Amino acid sequence: MSAIQATDLVRRFGEVEAVRGVSLEVAESEIYGFLGPNGAGKSTIVRILTTLLQPTSGSGSVLGHDVVKEPTTVRRLIGVALQEAGLDPKQTGRELLTLQGKLYGLKGKVLTDQVAEVTELVGLTDAIDRRIQTFSGGMKRRLDLASALLHRPRVLFLDEPTTGLDPLSRALIWDRIRELRERFGATIFLTTQYLEEADELADRVAIIDHGRIVRQGTPAALKAEVGADVIDVAVEERETGAAREAITDLQARGELPEGELRGTRAGYTLFVPDGPENLAVLIRGLDKAGVRFGAVSVSRPTLDDVFLAATGGRMAAADADGESEDAQGRDREPAGSGRRSS
Amino acid sequence: MSAVAPDAGRLPGGRSDEPQTLAAPAGLISDILAITGRAIRGILREPELFIFALIIPVFFFVVQIGALGDVAEQQLGISNYATFQLPISILFAAASTSGGNALVLDIAGGYWDKLSLTPAHRSSLVIGNLFGEMFAVLGYSLVLLLFGFAIGVRFAANPVVGSLGLLALTLLFGIGFAAVSIAVALATGSVRATQSTFIIFFPLLFLTPSALPRNLMTGWFEKAVSLNPMTYVVEAARSFLFDFDAAVVFKGFLAAALFSALTFALTALAFRRRVRMG
Repeated sequence: MSAIQATDLVRRFGEVEAVRGVSLEVAESEIYGFLGPNGAGKSTIVRILTTLLQPTSGSGSVLGHDVVKEPTTVRRLIGVALQEAGLDPKQTGRELLTLQGKLYGLKGKVLTDQVAEVTELVGLTDAIDRRIQTFSGGMKRRLDLASALLHRPRVLFLDEPTTGLDPLSRALIWDRIRELRERFGATIFLTTQYLEEADELADRVAIIDHGRIVRQGTPAALKAEVGADVIDVAVEERETGAAREAITDLQARGELPEGELRGTRAGYTLFVPDGPENLAVLIRGLDKAGVRFGAVSVSRPTLDDVFLAATGGRMAAADADGESEDAQGRDREPAGSGRRSS
Repeated sequence: MSAVAPDAGRLPGGRSDEPQTLAAPAGLISDILAITGRAIRGILREPELFIFALIIPVFFFVVQIGALGDVAEQQLGISNYATFQLPISILFAAASTSGGNALVLDIAGGYWDKLSLTPAHRSSLVIGNLFGEMFAVLGYSLVLLLFGFAIGVRFAANPVVGSLGLLALTLLFGIGFAAVSIAVALATGSVRATQSTFIIFFPLLFLTPSALPRNLMTGWFEKAVSLNPMTYVVEAARSFLFDFDAAVVFKGFLAAALFSALTFALTALAFRRRVRMG
């Protein structure tokens, strides 16, 4: 049985179709990364699968229980940390966790022990009796995570758990996510807009754009689908025409292999096999054509390149605009964020 | 890991071979108690709001007595104008409940979602807030009663029975007002709209025999006052202080109950809408 299943989920808000026929299946004990820019529909899908929102059509289930027909059962099985950690600032951390535990039917020693355990797990033991209004953003996220774990859920939904956190807090949350799977075998549905987060944590990744899943698979398989190395070359705006011409000439003469060429904000991205070898050819060709260019780099494909190949836009640019852009050189974010150079 | 009861978290009709979560049905009463406890904690953590809510009723109480006390007692035959005015102040304070404010902050801040994700009965999230407000109304009423005693308010009959009756009526009326504000909070999710529900208090409570007995009123005002169900709540409240009249008290409780039933129905509609909307 799947831990999570969605079939043809659609959700409309008036005229806007936020989710357009999403189907997915997550196995038990799997960490499933749900990757996409802001406004792609990630949170809407999480809200549907966690019973907060009803789909316009389609169905979803958690461990075989329908999210619309059996919402209470589903809520007992899942733990959820939403994108905005909604916490009552007037309560102390312990009061919040205790209230949360009571609403899950925990009582007595089990409740006390669970509060202590999750508090320790997220590293908040020293602060747990302070009012939440005194917590930093990272502490609130950790408390929210602790509250999602109190009843030892079998399926955990984490909606952008590290957005806006400093690197230290992010690393701590990553560790906890891994630990949860190792210790409890929990299934984790993790939405993120950070490519490296999905790459680092997820067994499988779905890339969502404009309410549709555009790619799905293991990070390695998705990157392999790109089938090439990635060369980024920075070119000033007035040189873009000349650069494109020089690159296509090189390809036409067979000096550079045929490969997808995409315009980016910084210049061009070229998908070619044998990146390091072809990098030298490209530099010589541009130089010879008198094109003024800046930084040039070669790297293995990242999930951002998978996103680029699937949607024609970079994640970061889609984020900034609230939508992804097409491939015609209008992607306005420098490429290569988080890329591992080869 | 902590010790866990073997059947903890077993799902209804569940599959026993599945590893269990610790979650188990807590029951509606337990859910309501938990949410009420949190609401009361929130009220106690902000004593300044409690004090602010008392300032205007006390101000009106004192000003009315100063402006009309002598005339009312000497010309209109009201034996004790402070006693005559006390129920208005108490009902005024009861109408200042902020149950919707706490709830709308939960909705705006995302805590409503957090609570809605638990298996708790969702109605307990509203009922617990209402009970928390009843705690506040009780507090306002007791403070104003004590203040009234301090400045010369006296019960014609048994003060304990009179006080208990007055408090019961105030709670019934106050829960109706809290429900209005909660309904607006649920329907709109807007802090500003929720705070402005206070405005409906003015026509409802000032188109009553708040300053003078109804038998001294004439014309359209008297008609409007007679049509306002709150008039009967005010008169019943006064009946506990002056000469107890069972028929007047019954009408007052009936009016308060109908008002609360109406506002509860609105709250239920708003609640269903909120739950459907997600």
